Amino acid sequence: MSLAGMTSKPWIWAWAAAALAFAATLVLTQGRGAGELAYAALSFGAFAAIVGLGQMLVITLGPGNVDLSIPATMTLAATLALKFMGSDPGTALPGLAIALAVGLGVGAANFALIFLLRLPPIIATLAASLIYQSLAIWSNRGLRIKPPTGLAEFATGRFLGLPNVAWVGLALALMVWVLLERSLWGRWLLASGQNLRAARLAGVPVEAVRAATYLAVAVFAALAGYLLASFSGGAALNMGAEYLLMSIAVVVIGGSSIAGGNSNVPGVWGAALFMFLVVSMLNSYGAAAGVRNVLTGTIIIAIVIAASSRRARI
Amino acid sequence: MKNHFTGAAVLALIAGAVAADTADKRIALSNNYAGNSWRQAMLSTFQETADQAVADGIVAAADAYTTSENQPTEQAAQIQNMILQGYDAIVLNAASPTALNGAVKEACDAGLVVVSFDGIVTEPCAWRIAVDFAAMGKEEIDYLATRLPDGGNLLEIRGLAGVFVDDEISKGIHAGVAEHDKFDIVGSVHGDWAQDVAQKAVAGILPSLPEVVGVATQGGDGYGVAQAFAAAGRDTPLIVLGNRQDELKWWAEQRDANGYETLSLSIAPGVASLAFWVSQQILDGKEVPKDLTVPFLKITQADLDATLASTPEGSVANTVYTLEDAQAVIEAAE
Repeated sequence: MSLAGMTSKPWIWAWAAAALAFAATLVLTQGRGAGELAYAALSFGAFAAIVGLGQMLVITLGPGNVDLSIPATMTLAATLALKFMGSDPGTALPGLAIALAVGLGVGAANFALIFLLRLPPIIATLAASLIYQSLAIWSNRGLRIKPPTGLAEFATGRFLGLPNVAWVGLALALMVWVLLERSLWGRWLLASGQNLRAARLAGVPVEAVRAATYLAVAVFAALAGYLLASFSGGAALNMGAEYLLMSIAVVVIGGSSIAGGNSNVPGVWGAALFMFLVVSMLNSYGAAAGVRNVLTGTIIIAIVIAASSRRARI
Repeated sequence: MKNHFTGAAVLALIAGAVAADTADKRIALSNNYAGNSWRQAMLSTFQETADQAVADGIVAAADAYTTSENQPTEQAAQIQNMILQGYDAIVLNAASPTALNGAVKEACDAGLVVVSFDGIVTEPCAWRIAVDFAAMGKEEIDYLATRLPDGGNLLEIRGLAGVFVDDEISKGIHAGVAEHDKFDIVGSVHGDWAQDVAQKAVAGILPSLPEVVGVATQGGDGYGVAQAFAAAGRDTPLIVLGNRQDELKWWAEQRDANGYETLSLSIAPGVASLAFWVSQQILDGKEVPKDLTVPFLKITQADLDATLASTPEGSVANTVYTLEDAQAVIEAAE
């Protein structure tokens, strides 16, 4: 690919880093377990990709827009859905409906705080997440209820050799990509992110765009929570914890602009795979937790610099 | 330290002058975190014990408070509030072994009894109900050695990086491996005491590992480990479990299917009720040594069915400690 081609595709860096981490792990195993590792990366990467896609939409809205209530939304949606299903067969779809309804409710509440009370999104979503987390605690006191067998089999199963959760993640990525690149709504979102005032003056219904975006991120988080709880054998109160930084990291590593107005769907998936593979690689090489954190941080900074300096050279 | 003993003695004298019991005393639980099933079980056990004690007229009040962000600064402020609210004793599960020492000292100076448990504090004026976590880690390897006399490769699942408990258990595990040198730890991952995190970490490291015969865990991670091994199509190794109901249920299913045998051990969330009774005993004027040890709750193949029956779905195996248990622990320490 030409340099110009790479410049317009900042997602290349996330995918290249994921491929390097994958290769480095296989060097250690002398090629054993390649399929196993790729399968695990797709399974666990799917959850990061789903929440990352939502976070990407919000970050695209422009400076200051971010949803910090993703972990609590995942926990609340999963807790309520699994409590409703109570491991009974045939309840997977109503359970999904409950999870998505929680997502819509959370998204609406977040937007109300941001729009009606004019709170900065960081404060609004962080404060609201304490409420969502408390609701999750209050609703089920941390008891881990198993998902119905059929749902658990779906979440851990595979289709055409790929994990089902990865299919869900890929389908959502495709949907978001079409929305952003081919629909009017996507153009509105990018325009709002690039210059809110100009977009408003040009007749873009910016508040509707913002509302839809905050609803979308919460619904994505709720879906990820529902799938993760079904995948890992039940909802836990701390299940969303690692997805707060993860959701932001995959957006940034994926080549989307943190300043908004520029999003990158393939990069989110590449970064989600990378985030799993880099930890697996460092674990496989026996790096201690401290070293692992330092190296992960260093690698992330390096990728972001690589992706952004390429962009700047246009 | 001597001063505080004198302080406590004076307090005991005053209390003794009014009545030989603690009916007018108020106890507060300062808890740093509530976001997992173990902590939820801990809070509900404390509440049950405390409500019963209040109803029986043993103490005047016993209230539980939890900080929202698991930060020492927040918990220090909470302890200062408790001093102002006039509590007589604080039962403390601390966010940090050292960062709360200042606030704990203030409480002691104000005449409060501070009993720390699980997450203990190093401030000398406080009491400590500690679990010998290193011994717990060592016991896991001792058990593996009895079951796997030929040794082999082990996988170690660690807890949350940077937390004292994680370091202690891991230290014990490594001491055990040093003693039973037929074992070799071929991989170590952080499972953060959460099934989904452990599952993810193990799925990532498994492709690079040779055959693994045993897994040493820290609790709350065993079920996720089993899932990861199953998903990778590997034989289930001998996993030492950590008393979570889903782990025990999985164990029972494996036992019924193929005679799987293992051991499960962890600290019972009911240790909060033990701490409650110890603080009551101190308020009652008993001489209690500053360092107490609580045994961990061990579940063997023989106890499995009984424990599983008594553990609520999705919770943690538990023991509720009584006043007599507390007195026995105090006597054992003397």
